[in-house]
Amino acid sequence: MLEASGLMVFYENMLALNNVRVRCDDNQIVGVFGANSAGKSTLMYALSGIMEDIKKKEAMAGGERITIMGEIRFMGQDIMALKPSLRAKQGIVLCPERRRIFSESSVLENLRIGGYLATTSQAKETMEYVFQIFPALVKLKKRTGGFLSGGEQQMLAIGRALMAQPKLLLLDEPLLGLSPLMQAILIRGTKVIRDQRKIAVMVTEQYARPVLPIVDYAFILENGAAVMEGTRDELLSNPDIRSAYFGV
Amino acid sequence: MDTQQQRKERLDRGIKVRTDGLYALMGWQELGYLTLPRLILIVGMLALPLLMPGMYWQRVITIVCIYALLALSFDFLAHFVGLVSLGGAFFIGVGGYFSAIFNASFGIPPLFSIPMATVSGAIVCTLLLIPCLPLRGVYFAIVTLMYPLALARVIEATDILGGTDGIMGIDSFSNSWVEQYVAIVLVLLFLFGLRRLVNTDIGLVVRAVKDNDQAVRASGMSVNFYKAGAVFIASGIGCLGGACLVHIYMWAGISLFALDFSILPIAATVIGGSGTLVGPVLGCLILVPISELLRDFGTLRIVFYAILLVCFVVFRSEGLMVYGERKYHQFERWVKV
Repeated sequence: MLEASGLMVFYENMLALNNVRVRCDDNQIVGVFGANSAGKSTLMYALSGIMEDIKKKEAMAGGERITIMGEIRFMGQDIMALKPSLRAKQGIVLCPERRRIFSESSVLENLRIGGYLATTSQAKETMEYVFQIFPALVKLKKRTGGFLSGGEQQMLAIGRALMAQPKLLLLDEPLLGLSPLMQAILIRGTKVIRDQRKIAVMVTEQYARPVLPIVDYAFILENGAAVMEGTRDELLSNPDIRSAYFGV
Repeated sequence: MDTQQQRKERLDRGIKVRTDGLYALMGWQELGYLTLPRLILIVGMLALPLLMPGMYWQRVITIVCIYALLALSFDFLAHFVGLVSLGGAFFIGVGGYFSAIFNASFGIPPLFSIPMATVSGAIVCTLLLIPCLPLRGVYFAIVTLMYPLALARVIEATDILGGTDGIMGIDSFSNSWVEQYVAIVLVLLFLFGLRRLVNTDIGLVVRAVKDNDQAVRASGMSVNFYKAGAVFIASGIGCLGGACLVHIYMWAGISLFALDFSILPIAATVIGGSGTLVGPVLGCLILVPISELLRDFGTLRIVFYAILLVCFVVFRSEGLMVYGERKYHQFERWVKV
């Protein structure tokens, strides 16, 4: 479904992504694991096209010069030159790190904003679906986004991403700063989304253990390079990877 | 992987690293690299009055310096304290009227009336602005914009301080050379003074207030105290400009509260490069003479002005000084990836 190869991103002279190759097949949950500064968020921004936008703004303000190179193919089509909005239209939807929900809009409004690309009937159906997989949001419909707890905000962020009718959902650190219970709810939700909606998911995390039960395939990023890849069992059989990312 | 791809690399010049990090000032080259830009500015500013063709352009230089003081105070407040001030006219007016009263009513000579007006004006401005300091956002800008409008109307309506006629009979500087050099030296003094200040410990706290005031509060410091201090310094600089201005014009009137004093420094900061302190001075050196040259076009000059500004914001939003600094300190080359 999505295949990126030779992906390189420079922030000025710093190499943030070095010749990274990742792929995600239909109906698959792919994990991308790495420490801080490994390049996970940069990868997500590069795939979703937000990087192009950051690059443009930096260039206008005379800040850092960002260079993006490589190839990204989505459903057989080269999308490297597409703007982030067009990539979202094609079905690559990013649920950004630290959630970035619209903090002054209510839960319902947040979801409606997310559904901008969907038709009315799609939006209605998806919204019901979001409330079905995250029932905690039902009681909070009228609550302002900024007053939700971290976990509720994350549910809302995933729900908002779903409203855009994605074919590939990019989740950037969805478990950041959440309690184990909340992590379990979100992980379960992600799996349900994949199983029921047939949406491919790419999820990044620093600590792989909570995500591990649901991933089909995973990549390990280190200092901007994809150093390891494999199925869950393949990665678990490597003792270094086990201790560094799975904590077992 | 395609090895033919190239990317432009940006690196610090060797001489910059040597002079910057190691302080290895071993030769004239390194010494020159550090001092030359500063010397050009200082010598250039001091030589300006000698280069000007006549009285009219010499007067323009003085006005440039007044605006440069305002632009300095704007840049300091906006980019080091995080308060966007539209109060150039407010500072000029308050400082100007104070100096006019001291001089015309009490007969204090300019040598003393200007510093006195600076301090008392800064105190009054700070006191009036303190109520809106705890707020973040546009409130400070709105309040600083409203004060000069209100004060001008109050003076007009109540006929105090000379009303619409203004205060006349103010002493001028002893001659035009004194007038120009006082203004130029003040600009240089405050330019380098502020550059020092923002790197001292107090300057660091003030800059931290801009970045994250909650973290500053959590570190046990009063945000409002430091903000008030910064406003005192900035309004002092503005009032000093106003005080000089009334002695140049030998007259103080409600036109001291004109909106030009608020807008032009901001435009100069945009053009010169915000957050550099030198940039705004440079911006004034460009903008004020241009606006004088365009005077023949009447109100049409606003159009040229606006186009120039829009072009700068769209194509070079970093500003001249940031761009120049980068070219001076860094070089670029193509490298294979």
